[in-house]
Amino acid sequence: MDWDQLEVSPRIIAAVKKANIKSAGNILTLSVPELQKLANLSVADVHHLQRAVSAVLRKNLGVTALQIYSEKAKFPAQHQKLSLGCKVLDNFLRGGIPLVGITEIAGESSAGKTQIGLQLCLCVQYPVEYGGLASGAVYICTEDAFPSKRLQQLIKSQHKLRSDVPTEVIKNIRFGDSIFVEHTADVDTLTECITKKVPVLLLRGSIRLVIIDSIAALFRCEFAAKDAAIKAKHLQTLGAKLHSMSSRFLTPVLCINQVTDRVREMNSEQIDLGLQDKKVVPALGISWSNQLLMRVMVARTQHIAPAEHAGGILRTMEVVFAPHIPQSSCYYTVDLEGVKGLDDYTQS
Amino acid sequence: MQRDVGSFPLAPALRVKLIATGFRTVETILEFSAVELSKEAGISNEEALEVLQIVKGEAQSSSSCQIIQKHTAFDLLGQEQSQGFVITFCSALDEILGGGIPVAKITEICGVPGVGKTQLCMQLAVDVQIPECFGGVAGETVFIDTECSFRLERLMDIANACVQHCNLIAQGHQDKDHIKAMQTFTLNEILSQIYYFSCHDYIELLAQINLLPDFLSSHPKVKLVVIDSIAFPFRHSFEDLSLRTRLLNGFGQQLISLAHNCNLAVVLTNQMTTKIGPSDSKLVPALGESWGHASTIRLILHWKSKQRFVTLCKSPSQKKATVPYGITSQGFRDAEIAEPEANALIPASNPRKRPRVDDDV
Repeated sequence: MDWDQLEVSPRIIAAVKKANIKSAGNILTLSVPELQKLANLSVADVHHLQRAVSAVLRKNLGVTALQIYSEKAKFPAQHQKLSLGCKVLDNFLRGGIPLVGITEIAGESSAGKTQIGLQLCLCVQYPVEYGGLASGAVYICTEDAFPSKRLQQLIKSQHKLRSDVPTEVIKNIRFGDSIFVEHTADVDTLTECITKKVPVLLLRGSIRLVIIDSIAALFRCEFAAKDAAIKAKHLQTLGAKLHSMSSRFLTPVLCINQVTDRVREMNSEQIDLGLQDKKVVPALGISWSNQLLMRVMVARTQHIAPAEHAGGILRTMEVVFAPHIPQSSCYYTVDLEGVKGLDDYTQS
Repeated sequence: MQRDVGSFPLAPALRVKLIATGFRTVETILEFSAVELSKEAGISNEEALEVLQIVKGEAQSSSSCQIIQKHTAFDLLGQEQSQGFVITFCSALDEILGGGIPVAKITEICGVPGVGKTQLCMQLAVDVQIPECFGGVAGETVFIDTECSFRLERLMDIANACVQHCNLIAQGHQDKDHIKAMQTFTLNEILSQIYYFSCHDYIELLAQINLLPDFLSSHPKVKLVVIDSIAFPFRHSFEDLSLRTRLLNGFGQQLISLAHNCNLAVVLTNQMTTKIGPSDSKLVPALGESWGHASTIRLILHWKSKQRFVTLCKSPSQKKATVPYGITSQGFRDAEIAEPEANALIPASNPRKRPRVDDDV
């Protein structure tokens, strides 16, 4: 950091330069006696220096909640959400996927996780007034090949699904051109992809959505049961990277997760994430759950949707936790056009 | 005064020079002027001035410190009783805490994701503003968010419900004080008294805490500092865990002195982690053993077959207890359907408090 912009006496700055301290972080993390010794400063000087460095680091003074509320343009993260392309589901999720934070969709295979992911890839490309972010998406596949055929199918039927959007708008969007697909087969490639490739795309402004399908596949095959601690550490690091990327670029991160059968343990009461009545729980355990902003679980039911909803298989979407939505669930179906929520079909 | 020069917070090089020249006690230094001192000890004029400032300043402050620090236990009791509580809107939790989240102490809230830590934080951020005539502390809030889980829409739900609740009381009592207080207790007013800071890593968090004393002295009405969560920035990117322990300890110290000096409640949230023991594994609060000492009060939120419970684990004055609670559309509340056995755990509710059923109107 540039020490000369600090508001402290030149003598202290000279001492810091002489001590060859490079980053502001060092000033804050070194203890007072260490700094004293390194830079030959008195205690008062060190306190002064730390205060000055803090002031430079935290230029943005706090805002009041009222400012966040009234200045909508300045705080998009609190006012804007990424739509799912379906009114019912958007209402269910209070507007859609939050812009900052990691959202997880967990469910058994064939529950419709990938379908939701694909639909979001298209929704993100719509202009802001139609619930999108007017930008592309990156889709990181880890377990299966990217379902290009299905994507083409979805693109073709966009005008049917999004009857709220004028046809000219839909025609003008070249959906296929701004979905970047990446295949990664191990944790290291995934990390490299997230730290190197994705930020480049984000900086260029070509994407505003990151989807990882699925996060569990890599971690479940690469780590044996005895490596639980290392796995937890990797998950935390990955979570932190995704989180900082999300908040820096105001980009939603969607992670698709597998589920695991619930094993009855002796003290299962303690390790209970509010999923007591479930037969399956999301994979990867608590160290991953701690990284999430919002967790949604999807499942297939045995029933067929009523005829007016094209009669697909009835599926449920359930919010397990989110800071702004209570635990609740709704029904949806997947058909040729995409994912649709069921409006007035109450649970029975 | 026979204080040793070595005991002053001087730069090491200066200290060595002074002692080598023969300045062993304060008195000898104080006899000299800055110019003389610089000549005598072979230091620059500027340095000499500083030495004199430090020595004089320290001498004064140390004597004044002694006056302040004298308190009898009786005084302290009176002080503690006069300090208010921030109510949680869950009467069972208020009861086991002895009235609510205490001011001038650190309260840590631990729990698994989704159990309601952030909800409780947002509830407290609103509750601290309840006017004094309604039994609140009429303070402001500093909300430091490290997980980006602060959702304005949810905060507004909670604030609206709180305003409505107080309105009902005011209408029921037809008391002049209440009606007057309600005029300024509105949604906009509540929002404008919550100062929001977002920190993305531990360096930013440390910097923010360094700056808080200045911020608080310019905003003396702040009665609550919320950090949601302390665990997130400190649980990754640490190769050296001893550095983390040291930083966390220092952090805890800063918060304790903040809570004391500015007379405000500090609320931290913490994540849970799996501790693998020799025979079984269990969930424990994250950040290690030593962090457990940082907070005065520790609450653990957990699930038990579809019902949320809060356990008071550590408190200097209250006994360990577990009570159920619920999270409704209005915020953090009493459990609606309590199991019969859980009911027995709730002590007789405080007659001072109004029942909170009338919210649902």
